[in-house]
Amino acid sequence: ASRVMVASRNYADFASEATFEIKKCDLHRLEEGPSTTAVMTREEGLHYYKTMQTIRRMELKSDQLYKQKIIRGFCHLYDGQEACCVGLEVAIKPTDHVITAYRAHGFTYARGVPVREILAELTGRKGGCVKGKGGSMHMYTKNFYGGNGIVGAQVPLGAGIALACKYFGKNEVCLTLYGDGAANQGQIFETYNMAALWKLPCVFICENNRYGMGTSVERAAASTDYYKRGDFIPGLRVDGMDVLCVREAAKFATEYCRAGKGPILMELQTYRYHGHSMSDPGISYRTREEIQEVRSKSDPITLLKDRMVNTNLASIEELKEIDVAVRKEIEEAAQFATTDPEPPLEELGNHIYFNEPPFEVRGPNQWIKYKSVS
Amino acid sequence: MNLFQSITSALDNALAKDPTAVVFGEDVAFGGVFRCTVGLRDKYGKDRVFNTPLCEQGIVGFGIGVAVAGATAIAEIQFADYIFPAFDQIVNEAAKYRYRSGDLFNCGNLTIRAPWGCVGHGALYHSQSPEAFFAHCPGIKIVIPRSPLQAKGLLLSCIEDKNPCIFFEPKILYRAAVEQVPVEPYNIPLSQAEVLQTGSDVTLVAWGTQVHVIKEVAAMAQEKLGVSCEVIDLRTILPWDTETVCKSVAKTGRLLISHEAPLTGGFASEISSTVQEECFLNLEAPISRVCGYDTPFPHIFEPFYIPDKWKCYDALRKMINY
Repeated sequence: ASRVMVASRNYADFASEATFEIKKCDLHRLEEGPSTTAVMTREEGLHYYKTMQTIRRMELKSDQLYKQKIIRGFCHLYDGQEACCVGLEVAIKPTDHVITAYRAHGFTYARGVPVREILAELTGRKGGCVKGKGGSMHMYTKNFYGGNGIVGAQVPLGAGIALACKYFGKNEVCLTLYGDGAANQGQIFETYNMAALWKLPCVFICENNRYGMGTSVERAAASTDYYKRGDFIPGLRVDGMDVLCVREAAKFATEYCRAGKGPILMELQTYRYHGHSMSDPGISYRTREEIQEVRSKSDPITLLKDRMVNTNLASIEELKEIDVAVRKEIEEAAQFATTDPEPPLEELGNHIYFNEPPFEVRGPNQWIKYKSVS
Repeated sequence: MNLFQSITSALDNALAKDPTAVVFGEDVAFGGVFRCTVGLRDKYGKDRVFNTPLCEQGIVGFGIGVAVAGATAIAEIQFADYIFPAFDQIVNEAAKYRYRSGDLFNCGNLTIRAPWGCVGHGALYHSQSPEAFFAHCPGIKIVIPRSPLQAKGLLLSCIEDKNPCIFFEPKILYRAAVEQVPVEPYNIPLSQAEVLQTGSDVTLVAWGTQVHVIKEVAAMAQEKLGVSCEVIDLRTILPWDTETVCKSVAKTGRLLISHEAPLTGGFASEISSTVQEECFLNLEAPISRVCGYDTPFPHIFEPFYIPDKWKCYDALRKMINY
């Protein structure tokens, strides 16, 4: 038998890096903004592509599992917004801190939790990143503080984390994310004041996906210029569908904070394809045409793919191979998530308090008690 | 009608009868996330039925202002779990208004509605039953219906009552509970518990969804143990009907109280304490409280967490054999 060389890919054929023009950011109380050109190497491009594609497929898989009733409860999907979490993650260091609200699966993955642990957490199994006790809205990992259910409540927490960063003096920053709906909560403004007063290294990031659940931003906010809402805090408005734009803006913002100049606000203009949560079809407050338009013109993954192919950073086949590998990874993770056993009943009482000897948790009547180990 | 339709009917009656009534909250304009306000905006106009932005503290504070100025305010908090940013406004502002102004001002025209209780998949922040937090606050009234017929009457009473009221609606019953409900307005008096079934051996007390659980337990007890149960729906949590409950316990000698909220500090502790004060010599067995665990409301463990009929039945059996 003879061996036939069917195809060979010669890596020397590809460019090693390329420069791209990115959209200029609107500025508030800033003399200059992030640069309008971004350099992306081949490795970076492939990494961004793989990460975004993994998040996209993971969210679609969660959609599927939810419809099969394997995932229950609340599930808020992130597809369409991948450029935000990927762009932010690559601009910061692993030692920096991130806190966000409930649309957190993308960030959980970006911060380093494997897909299988995320899916297992969604299905409530013990292999999940929080042992199955949190579910969709409460995922955590090192330097990622979740995963918070109550709208806007995570923002003062973010400022607190930023204070700790400043106090420990390790040159870390905290990215504090919230949505366009949360931007109208009172505690956000309390936080702006504290962060600016004490010059905390806090990057406030408003992920504006144009709808707070079902309410469009025009109907909810007196001012839809969310980047200006910090008033005395400088702000920038960023195209959240372009991963490079997000990256450059995040680099600019984190440098600003690390230089000790105080907090800064970023508004990422982005879009979610799914409804607010799995119980929301997402079309009663917006038209299908609008969703289609965003998908065809501004999809973050397609944008990156076109860029890479057009500047010869990668070939379509290579990206397709990544797609296939990602699909496989998600399938395996879903398999794990559906077969892993649920956490044992004793877990119900654990980790309520920190207590040295385990104490007893009273149950529904005086004869049922659980040990609380922590 | 089912529960959410009966709420819509009550609001419809209230808006029709009282020209100063306004309904507001997050997403109420299109009908609400549980469809409790469907059609009201079209019927009464957008200056009487309107959306607020996402700010609970703002909603309640705003509602207090509307009520003090003389209009009837019916505020909706989207889930009882989100009521906590408004806790200060309710406890410090609304509840104490009449008291601290020597009856010069009051916000009695305020009614706050919120979906309440476990729903099967709510997890930590869509399943809470916070009535116990508010029960500790003199000046407000807390009402929890068990069915569409009760809900409409109680809600209309709350709206007409000259005190700020919190009306919790069991969200699991929104679609599940269906009854014949009159279209015309009618009132059910507040602070009156209802005896659903008379009995001679054990008194069972609950409110909201849990009433249906204890009704089943009463049937089980009758069938399997030959025990006759008196079933009471408390209806108004604050101020609660001590007379009905104590009279019943004086008759039966045994009391079982059940609620989804955690055991420690739950409202069952207040009932238990008062009953033992009033009916000490009548008691045949310690008062039993079958409640949720002292943990946050779990995600995956929900079926184990809730005080279902088996746990109640078990507690009842132990009480009978005491």
